[in-house]
Amino acid sequence: MSQPSLSGFIIRRPWLRRWLQPMANWYADASGYRKLGLKADDLIPEESETVLLALKRLPPKEAYDRVFRMRRAFQLSLSHQLLPKHEQMKPEEDTPYLTPLIQEIEAELKEREDLEAMVVKKKPAKPAA
Amino acid sequence: MLSRSSFGRQAQRALQRQCRAQPANRRGLAAPASGSFNYDTGDASGIKYASRDMSGPTTTLALVSKAGTRYQYLPGLTEGLEKYAYRGTERRSALRIVREAELLGAELQTTHSRESLIVGAKFLRDDLPYFVELLAEVATKTKYLPHVYHEEVMPLIALAHKKFLASTKEMALSSVHGLAFHRGLGTPLYPSSSTPYTKYLDADTIEEFASAAYAKGNFAIVANGAEHSDLSKWVGEFFTDVPSSGGQSLQSPQTKYYGGEERIAHGSGNTMVLAFPGSSSYTGGFYKPEIAVLAALLGGESSIKWSSGFSLLSKAASKNPGVSVKTKSAIYSDAGLLYVIIHGSAKQVAGTAQEVVKTIKSIAGGEISKEDIMKARALAKFKELEHGQTIMGSLELTGAGLVQGGKPYQLDETAKAIDGVTEDQVKKTAKSLLDYRASVSSVGDLFQLPFAEELGLKV
Repeated sequence: MSQPSLSGFIIRRPWLRRWLQPMANWYADASGYRKLGLKADDLIPEESETVLLALKRLPPKEAYDRVFRMRRAFQLSLSHQLLPKHEQMKPEEDTPYLTPLIQEIEAELKEREDLEAMVVKKKPAKPAA
Repeated sequence: MLSRSSFGRQAQRALQRQCRAQPANRRGLAAPASGSFNYDTGDASGIKYASRDMSGPTTTLALVSKAGTRYQYLPGLTEGLEKYAYRGTERRSALRIVREAELLGAELQTTHSRESLIVGAKFLRDDLPYFVELLAEVATKTKYLPHVYHEEVMPLIALAHKKFLASTKEMALSSVHGLAFHRGLGTPLYPSSSTPYTKYLDADTIEEFASAAYAKGNFAIVANGAEHSDLSKWVGEFFTDVPSSGGQSLQSPQTKYYGGEERIAHGSGNTMVLAFPGSSSYTGGFYKPEIAVLAALLGGESSIKWSSGFSLLSKAASKNPGVSVKTKSAIYSDAGLLYVIIHGSAKQVAGTAQEVVKTIKSIAGGEISKEDIMKARALAKFKELEHGQTIMGSLELTGAGLVQGGKPYQLDETAKAIDGVTEDQVKKTAKSLLDYRASVSSVGDLFQLPFAEELGLKV
């Protein structure tokens, strides 16, 4: 359940990346989830089979941390507070932990669909030796 | 209408013509044809392989590894490794492997026994390179991912466990092996409790076991219906990055026979197994061809249709119709077990068990005709040769022989050894069996099933 994104296109072009990176950093920070102690991957909507499966495949420690972050963010949101500055998610800690799993599952599904759509051609008969 | 006399004459003439048409040196059916019977063996930088070129359009290829339940150092490892075969490798996914095999019209199969793990495939002859490559990938490039274990492997192990618990025969056999050999060969063949997958197994432990199971010298490649030169070429090409030794070595001490009695209550079905120490394989050092003859003599299963058979135990069992009796000499690399398995309703199993012990005692006492022993010898030889000729049987024997003794299974020699068994040897062996402690296992309705003591066996 990865969203359409231009990131691949941008990352492949260093000049463009240099130009856009500060803007991206500002945008991620401004969207405010880091101030609630969340990572970007915590925001991926769970309501799809693929993401549910990816969540099941998370290592136990990652799954625990994810639930912890979410509960903390929920409490903060209820009490209309932000985390103290030193507890907020730092940009370098905001790593994708779920996206690789989702991509892997999507690749599996795509492979399955490709194999389903395959047209089988018969091997040409061997010339008589 | 043909008159009877004229038809008879015609038939006789036709028969004579048929007989004359045969060349004088035609080989009788009973003479062993051993030309293509044995496997050619080879060694490609430490990897042993064997092949036998049977004419025919299909090939059966198998990787036989010394990773049976006997050699597992944690419960359930063999089962786990078996279920991981053909899952996903670094080059292709499990789905792709299955689909490609399907497109090539092939069949993939994995099994395990007490001593070996067999990862095999059956396919059309031309596809040999593809499948040698696939086996090499399974052996060296399988990805032991945790989610594959949780999503695919573990449910299969749990099913194997349930299947085992539902079958009184499997339970009794496993229990009798445990009684006879304790550890090593006595380890249950299938998970007998849930501890393997709740306590011991995960993807990492299985990966470690795999690195030992698929290390050089611990497995052999055996092909049936492939040209030896082809096989050696492809094995040399694809099995290049096999590690020379795995993490833990697969070892099991020399097996010792113990014996004893175990009774397990079970709601569905009744099985009793009476077992005695048997014969090891030909290369194992404890080879006793008399045991094979004795097993054939006791018998139990009919080799012809619509009859309960003429072996001693089938005669004994005919008093209890509906009960199935079977004698088998289970042969392992350094020990063996001669067992009689009785399965049926509780009362009849109890009655038949009495008869079985009576029969063994009468053989030991010498009350057996020479003719019966001759018949048993022929049957034992036939069974031996026939088992070696079936493809899967011979693959396993050959692979295990290569891995454990460095030699393929010597079928002709075992057949010859069985031929040399005398009447006295059989009687003496039967007597010596009763000197040992028997291993007796009863699974089912324990109220009806007798104790070994009541049968007159020493445990």
